Amino acid sequence: MPSSSASDSPVPLLAQHQHRALLRTLTLALACLLAACNRLDNPVYHDQFFAFGTLIDLTFYDVDPARAKQASRALEQAFMQMHSDWHAWQPGALQQVNQQLAEEGQATTDPAMAALLQEANRLSTLSNGLFNPLIGRLVALWGFHNDEPPSGPPPAEDLIRQLVEQVPTSADVHVDGKQISSRHPAVRYDLGAFAKGYAIDRGIELLQEQGIAHAIINAGGDLCAIGRHGKRPWRIGIRDPRKPGVLASIELTGDESVFTSGDYERFFEHEGQRYHHIIDPRSGNPAGAVVSATVIHPLAATADAAATALFVAGPDAWPAIARQMGVEYVMLVDREGRIHMNPAMQARLIFESKPDTIVMSETL
Amino acid sequence: MMTRADRVLMAITLCTLPLLYLHFWTHQDTATVLRIQTAAESATITTLTPDRHVQIAGPIGESTIEIRAGQARFLRSPCAGKVCVHSGWLREAGQLAACLPNRISIQLLGNRPRYDAINF
Repeated sequence: MPSSSASDSPVPLLAQHQHRALLRTLTLALACLLAACNRLDNPVYHDQFFAFGTLIDLTFYDVDPARAKQASRALEQAFMQMHSDWHAWQPGALQQVNQQLAEEGQATTDPAMAALLQEANRLSTLSNGLFNPLIGRLVALWGFHNDEPPSGPPPAEDLIRQLVEQVPTSADVHVDGKQISSRHPAVRYDLGAFAKGYAIDRGIELLQEQGIAHAIINAGGDLCAIGRHGKRPWRIGIRDPRKPGVLASIELTGDESVFTSGDYERFFEHEGQRYHHIIDPRSGNPAGAVVSATVIHPLAATADAAATALFVAGPDAWPAIARQMGVEYVMLVDREGRIHMNPAMQARLIFESKPDTIVMSETL
Repeated sequence: MMTRADRVLMAITLCTLPLLYLHFWTHQDTATVLRIQTAAESATITTLTPDRHVQIAGPIGESTIEIRAGQARFLRSPCAGKVCVHSGWLREAGQLAACLPNRISIQLLGNRPRYDAINF
């Protein structure tokens, strides 16, 4: 028989001080949960559009969605315009410059185009011509003036030799205000290794004008980051040039660009051999010694030109060129999978797995 | 004064905290949704279940996205180069594949991807 006396006199389940303690405990637990929930409220805005023949991937941190959308649309329009103006083989402002230079040895253009070409010439000079924006004829000969990669075979050797013998250099062109003059009949601007970087710099300026302080513009794998991801720096993975996955990662705190030139980006294969789009202006053939060159620099335009120049320079000559171009962080992966880099770069990279061979350069 | 019940409650709470931490702060690079972007319209977000094929129309034809076991890939696309198809399976949040000729990109999204962007 159950006793009825206990249920008759209602004893509180918990005493008052117990209530307080329980309340505190629950409050603490709730606060922790809320903190966790707050973390899940995503302050990252993503958007994508197609421009420059690639996918432009935007990441904004802590930006009002309406403003983010507006900035993204403005950026898309700006990129579309720059792409058509600076296109290497479709009708546009750059084509007009090329045509006038070929026919008359001089061209008149707008200040924006003149500034672009002047900067390309300047970086070309600093790279000892290894980044050469004037070899449009060679790039066309190889069939890379097309959205789809060529199917091969490679061009005849004597045709290549002919063009190499008359490769123009940055000393052959002169930009003065809106006037561009050339003393070399073979000058054909092709900004394939430069326009995207230069455009990203303009894009970052545009975002900053719109009050966006934390962002990444990633144009088909080449990117510039400003600000940070909330309390932590932006985290960038550098893809392995030869197998799926990430080779190393790096944190970007200031405004920095990461550019990689690789033999896997645009290429064709003919009779088992790979012919890629990074042409060595000295030989007229695809540069052969490395498979990728990664450069970090505050300016995307410099990073873009330097990634190409150091790819062409190869495992021995790259440090001298990097110094001339004012580049402080470089990593090259050569055909044997060896990693070439400078000490400052190594200090920043976190490798997914320890590389077999690291060839360390002198301090840049 | 703390009673035994208080201590038990406190202990349970403290033990739960690491679990909450693990739940909310780590293992979030597992993708939760797929973002599909086309040139024609703004992006659509779709779930990674059930397994299925998704047909997407682009300027040069129809691309097929396969979604299976929380992963996604371009199964077919009318482009010449087939770079998108050769990109293979996307497994981790943040991974991306694109068919440039057909102006379609797919990207796995998660709450906490390992990288904010991939350089290549």
